[in-house]
Amino acid sequence: MSRVFVTGIGIISALGSTLAENRSALLNGKSGISLNASLSSRYAGTLPFGAIGIDTGQWREKFRISHPGITRTSFLALHAFSDAVADAELSAAALRDPRVALVGATTVGGMCLTDELYRDTTEPCDGSPYLSSFDCASVHLFLQSRFGMTGLATTINTACSSSANAIQYGARLIRNGLAATAIVGGTDSLAKFTINGFHALQILSTAACRPFDRDRAGLNLGEAAAFLVLEGEETVADKKVYAELTGYCNSNDAFHPSALSLRGDGPFLAMEGALQTAGLEPTDIDFINTHGTATENNDEAEGRAMLRLFPELPPFLSTKSYTGHTLGAAGAVEAVYSILSIRHQELYASLNFGEPIPDLGMRPVQACQPHAIRHAMSNSFGFGGNCTSLIFSNVN
Amino acid sequence: MLYIHQTSCISPQNGLDSLPKGPVNNLLKAIEPQYGGIPGNVLRRMSKSVKMGIGAALPLLKHSPDGILIGTGYGGMEDSVRFLNQIIEYDEGILTPGTFVQSTANAIASQLGLLCHNRGYNITFVNRGLAFESALLDAAMLVREHPGKSWLVGGVDEISTQNYRFEYAEGWYKKEDLTGKDLYRSDTPGTIAGEGAAVFILNDRREGALMRIRKIALPGGDDEHGLQTALSGLLEGMSPDLLLSGENGDSRARNWYRIVESMMGPDTGIARFKHLCGEYPTASAFALWLACNLPDTLPEHLLKRPPHSALRHILIYNNYKFTQHSLILLERLP
Repeated sequence: MSRVFVTGIGIISALGSTLAENRSALLNGKSGISLNASLSSRYAGTLPFGAIGIDTGQWREKFRISHPGITRTSFLALHAFSDAVADAELSAAALRDPRVALVGATTVGGMCLTDELYRDTTEPCDGSPYLSSFDCASVHLFLQSRFGMTGLATTINTACSSSANAIQYGARLIRNGLAATAIVGGTDSLAKFTINGFHALQILSTAACRPFDRDRAGLNLGEAAAFLVLEGEETVADKKVYAELTGYCNSNDAFHPSALSLRGDGPFLAMEGALQTAGLEPTDIDFINTHGTATENNDEAEGRAMLRLFPELPPFLSTKSYTGHTLGAAGAVEAVYSILSIRHQELYASLNFGEPIPDLGMRPVQACQPHAIRHAMSNSFGFGGNCTSLIFSNVN
Repeated sequence: MLYIHQTSCISPQNGLDSLPKGPVNNLLKAIEPQYGGIPGNVLRRMSKSVKMGIGAALPLLKHSPDGILIGTGYGGMEDSVRFLNQIIEYDEGILTPGTFVQSTANAIASQLGLLCHNRGYNITFVNRGLAFESALLDAAMLVREHPGKSWLVGGVDEISTQNYRFEYAEGWYKKEDLTGKDLYRSDTPGTIAGEGAAVFILNDRREGALMRIRKIALPGGDDEHGLQTALSGLLEGMSPDLLLSGENGDSRARNWYRIVESMMGPDTGIARFKHLCGEYPTASAFALWLACNLPDTLPEHLLKRPPHSALRHILIYNNYKFTQHSLILLERLP
C-alpha cells in the first residue's frame, strides 16, 4: 500500500487566518479564546469563545459570492480549502481530475442559519435560499461544484472526531488505490445550535478552559476550518512534504451517548490501533496532541487511557486552550498543529494549567520549547463514543 | 472481494409477495415493527430514523460484525430542527440536552455500538444522496485491509416534517396527488417522499454469500459524459441481466435514466423500485436489499422491460437530485 504524505495545509481559527499566524500564536502562548466574541447569541459577552473575528459579509465580498444560502461554515471551508490547495500547488485543472478526492467533515453545516431556518420551517414559504444549505453535505457539495471536482467526495459526521475520520478515510482511499490525492479536513462555525446544545449539557466553562487541570470546569466552543492535501507516492515526487500520515484507528467507546467510560476504553483502543497501523510501539511516540477538552469527563478518561497505554508518558498538551473546541474541525486543526510541531521540532505550551488531577498526576507541557519529534499522535473523541487517533511522522 | 451475506430492511412495504402499498398524500411511510430488543426507556427517546436503523440492524447483530458503518442523508434532522426551534422559542433559555444529543447524525451507528458493546470501527457518512455508497466503499476498503472480518453497513433516512417542507418548497415533490396513479407515467416535476432502513452484513467470504458487489462507481456532478464514461468503465463490455433503475417519476430526472438505459444491451431487463420505497437520500440501500431478495419470477409492478435471462449480473443506477450518481454492479451467487 502507498505511503501517504501531507503536501499542503490550509487553516483558519481563532489564532489567525493563515498557517503562519496560527504558529505564531502557539509560539507566543497567545490564546484566541475571549469574552469579546462578536456573535449572535445571548451568551456573547458572558461565555468565552474561540471566534474568528471576520464577519461573514467580508467573505462574501472577498470571494464575490452574494448567494445567501452560502453559509459561514461554507466560507470557512472555502478559505482553508483554497489555502491548502495553493500550498500543495494543485492547479485548477488538477482539482478536476477524477483521481482527486474530497473528504470533508462538519457537525454544524448549515445549521448556523438558526434564525433564518426557524422562519422558513415555521411559516409557509415557496422556496428560500437557505433550504438547500441546511445540511452537513452542503459545505462539501459547494466546494465540489465550485472547483468542478469529479473524484470521490463525501462528508463524515462522527461528532467531535469527524475530521480525524475524514483524514483517515482520505488516507485509506489513497492506500486502496481509489484516489491519488485526497483533500481532507473539517469545518465548524460557531452557532446558536451548538452553543445551546453544549450549554444544555452544562459543560461550557464560564472562564478560559483548563485542560487536565484539577479545577477544570468545562470547555469553550470555537470555530475553525482546516484542510490537508494528502498525496500518495504516485504523485508526491519531489514536492514539499510536511509529514507522513503513518497511523490511524477508529474505535467506539460503547459506553454512553455523551460521556466516555472512565477507564477510557475507546480512547485506549484508538491510540493502540493507531500504533499498530503505523507499526510503532508506545515508546516511539514523542508527543501527544490530546483531545483535552477540559471537561471533567474527557480529561480524566483520556488521561487514564494514556497512562494505561504508555509505560512512560510522552509530553502532551491540549491546543484547545488556544482555539476552544472546534467540534467537527478539531481533528483537522489539531492534526495541523501536530504537523507544525514535527516540522519545526517544537512543543507549544498547554495553557491555564495549575494543579494535576489528583489520581492521575499528569502535567501537560508548560512552556514552548524545542523537542525532537519523529512521531506525533493526535487524539479526537466525540459523542456517541466515536474515538479516533492519528499518527504523523517526520520524513526528514 | 466484497460479499453480502445477510440483509434486513424496514420499508414502506410488507415484503415483496403482496401488492405494493401506494403513497398517501405523496408520502410512502415505512411500516415499523414492534422493536423488541430495544429497552423501552431507550426507545422512547429515539427519533424514527434511529428506531428504524436500529430495528433493521438488530437481527443482524447476532452475526457479531467487527464494525458499524451507517449512511444517512438527513441524519437527525427532525431532532435538530426541533432543538433549533426550542432555541428561538425559549430565547436561548434553559433547554434539555436530550434533543441535542439525539440530533447528531452519528446517533444510529453509536447507539448500535452501545447496544451490542461493539468497540470496533464506527462511522457515519452524511453526504446526502451518496451517504450509503460512501459506507459501501468504506466496507470495500475494510475487507481488503482486514481479511476475515465482517462489517455491518446500512442506509437510513426518515421523512421528517421539516425536510418534507424544505424539499416541497424547493420543488422536489409533486404538487398533484398521486394516490392510485402510476408514478412512472407522471409527466410533471417532483416525486414522492419515502423512507426506510436497509442493513447488510458484508465480508470477503464467497461461501454462503447471497451476492458479490463487483464494482461501485460514483461519477460526480451534472455531467452526462462523465456518467457515460463511468458506466462504460464499470461494465467493461458486459451487459447486465437486469438494470434496477432509480427512476422516480420526476420529469426532469428522466433523461439521466434514459442515458443509462440506452447503454444496456437489448436483453437487459429493466426494473424500477421507487414506487415501493419513495425517494430519499439512501434509497439505493433499499435497491440493494431488493436486488438481494428478488424472487425468481419478478412481480409485474417492478418491470419496465422483462429480462431475457436468469438474473446473474444486476446493475443498480440511482440518481439523487440530478447531481449525485451511483452505479453498483452486482453478481448473484448460486
